[in-house]
Amino acid sequence: MKLTRTLIIASLVLLATACSSSSATTSTDATPNEVTLLAYDAFIPKEGIFDAFTAATGAKVKIVTGGDSGVLISKAILTAGTPEGDVLWGLDNTLLSRAQKAELLTSYEPVDYGDICVNYDKQWFTSHKIPTPSSLEDLVLPAYRGLLVTQDPVASSPGLGFLLGTIAHFGIDDWQDFWTSLKTNGVHIAPDWTTAYTIDFSGSSGKGKYPLVVSYGSSPPAEVLYAEKQIDTPPTAVIESTCFRQTEYVGALRGTRNPKLAAQLISYLLDIPFQESMPLSLFVFPINKKATLPNLFTKFATAPKNPLTLDPADIETNRDAWLNTWRDIIL
Amino acid sequence: MRKTKTLLITPVVFLSVFFVAPVANTVFRYFRFSEFSNVLSNESLSGVAWFSLWQAAISTLLTLVIALPATWALSRYTFRGSRVTRGILTAPFVLPAVVVAAGVLAITDSRGVIPILWAHVVFNVSVVIRIVSPRWSMVNLRLEHAAATLGARPTRTFASVVWPQILDAVISAATLVFIYCFTSFGVIAILGGISRRTLESEIFTQAVRLGNTETATALAVLQAIIIGAVFFITRRSSRPHSTSLHVSAPQPLHIKPNRRATPLIITATAVIIVASPLLATIYRSLVVNSQISFSAWRLLFSGSLPALSVTPQSVIITSLVFAIATACICVPLALLVATASAPRALFSIPLAVSAATLGIGLIITFNTSPYAWRSERWFIPVIHAVIALPLVIRTLEPATHAIPASLRNASATLGASPFATWVQVELPLLKPALLRATGLSMAVSLGEFGATSFLSRSGSTTLPIAIAQLLGRPGVATQQAGFVLAALMVLVTVGVMSRA
Repeated sequence: MKLTRTLIIASLVLLATACSSSSATTSTDATPNEVTLLAYDAFIPKEGIFDAFTAATGAKVKIVTGGDSGVLISKAILTAGTPEGDVLWGLDNTLLSRAQKAELLTSYEPVDYGDICVNYDKQWFTSHKIPTPSSLEDLVLPAYRGLLVTQDPVASSPGLGFLLGTIAHFGIDDWQDFWTSLKTNGVHIAPDWTTAYTIDFSGSSGKGKYPLVVSYGSSPPAEVLYAEKQIDTPPTAVIESTCFRQTEYVGALRGTRNPKLAAQLISYLLDIPFQESMPLSLFVFPINKKATLPNLFTKFATAPKNPLTLDPADIETNRDAWLNTWRDIIL
Repeated sequence: MRKTKTLLITPVVFLSVFFVAPVANTVFRYFRFSEFSNVLSNESLSGVAWFSLWQAAISTLLTLVIALPATWALSRYTFRGSRVTRGILTAPFVLPAVVVAAGVLAITDSRGVIPILWAHVVFNVSVVIRIVSPRWSMVNLRLEHAAATLGARPTRTFASVVWPQILDAVISAATLVFIYCFTSFGVIAILGGISRRTLESEIFTQAVRLGNTETATALAVLQAIIIGAVFFITRRSSRPHSTSLHVSAPQPLHIKPNRRATPLIITATAVIIVASPLLATIYRSLVVNSQISFSAWRLLFSGSLPALSVTPQSVIITSLVFAIATACICVPLALLVATASAPRALFSIPLAVSAATLGIGLIITFNTSPYAWRSERWFIPVIHAVIALPLVIRTLEPATHAIPASLRNASATLGASPFATWVQVELPLLKPALLRATGLSMAVSLGEFGATSFLSRSGSTTLPIAIAQLLGRPGVATQQAGFVLAALMVLVTVGVMSRA
């Protein structure tokens, strides 16, 4: 009993000090020669890309990663106002409204874009002598029964993108019918991108059962860049009309101790050298129109002129309801 | 008894700061009674709770059925390959869920209840062996021989001589296994498809994917209540009626078992069940397009990884540094608790709390100076130690309890100070358990992917993160590199565990 009491007292003392300190100290001096970029785990920029920034400003760029984009943004929102860094990378149009509501950022700008599209295994369709599907409507035809694997939209960002794409294409009232037909036609739902692409999909390393997979418009060039043996053309390709546009934003976190450096870093991220490094390190398209694309991207990556899109505010308002409806249809 | 309380000051302060405070902070901030009653009346969420319960019960039962006979064989006999066998059976605990689950998936080719149960068995056989084996190997053989001499058949000897002495450890292990399966997250995420969810995975979904922190907290409280009830029930049934065992030291192992085949067959069965998903991992690291290729392994030894900006060496070193730091923090604390024979329930509390709840607590508590520790490097092994502590205490407790008071008294009578007694009498007896505890805390650190995934890192990529990153990108080479790292983890841990 004594022990329990000690424990409670100790924790209360700690809580009290924690609370008092949080109200007392809002601004402390930080090392002015460092700026912290918060990003998701998959943010792996080209080596040495920030050297020029350091040379120009005298400040080093410290990259702090924390989970996938969902985890990163949720964490940032929970501690909005007392941020872990100065600049946030990883907000996309499906999460933008949530961040705005929490006043997470003082300013933000689009930094890159890419598409979530159905990819197909070229060899499978050739050897089975079946034409590749060319639209979302095709996916519910008997010829394509049991061929598609997508991801749980609750847990996976490409899964959510594909669902939003179908809502954008079929409209608020008719997307449910499409999914009912898709279910009848044997769509397979994987828990995440990794499982879908690397285990279930037949066109990549896993040699699974499904020749159609929801992935990115930039997946084919990645297949070439990271091929096991050198290849000239990717084994996969993209069905353009299924592509849903994902735009990523970069912004200054509210509560940053280095607003000036944060602004400088953001303009650096939007400038040509960094923008041109993104395609082959992050597999996204640069937002800066002056940036030139690498060959691999112009040849094999897909970013349609008129992709499917939805308004971020609509997404935020309806996401929970859409996901629940989707669960009711699929489960 | 007075003195033993002072031993507890450090562990209690440690847990208060790094566990109680953040969790209490989350609950104070986000718990609402209205949301709690919403959760209770929500049909789909109560279905989730029900599934968590029954799959955990069956997983626990299966794990015991497979692990206990193997534990017997490994604690009583030594045979050609028994060390490697122990290594194989105890290795999966270290592996990230993504590796084991991908291995199971490669074999079953489907998701659902059976793959989930299988993966849970693969992970948890090691928990049973680690906790029960030290105790079993200390059951005095002379007692068994005496029973046999008096005409008891082996089953009778087991039921009335051995079982009462290991029961405490078995219940302790079963409770842990149940809780691990009940709060299963990684395995469920990969093998559950979208229809199978546990409370833990739903807490994560609500908090992180949907941004419903209040629903998540309500679910976390529900989960803690259920786990608390499980503790209460198992504690009542394991009132130690075996406080003083007739043991002094680990008993010698039989080199030639009487019925040589039985222990071999038993362990072989367990090994097949546990090892096949691990072999699938190694297979994936070697075979590309149904052809054997060593290119990914060559890449690893040449010191570069595709798509990641870190070298394999630095990933491995980072993981090892965290693992060693975790053991250095955790084992002494656990030894203090186990020696003081503190109420076990108190130090089991971390098991009842969802990783997501702790993770949220950490980032909202340690976000302002002077406590802005959430992105400090040292914070990660500290939190690993919090998570490993209940498990490590359980590994040590059966061994500390099994030391008869008479030994201590004899030592004291002969003039030894309590400290000298501890160093010269107790420590040597505890050595095997301490080694296991060290291995276990390192294992938890190497594999932990729950609460610390909420912490941010700067340039400190660990193995599970590197594997998840590599498997999370398109391209055959990146995938294969991921499986190479996973296979490397499998091989190294099997190697390490077979020596510990």
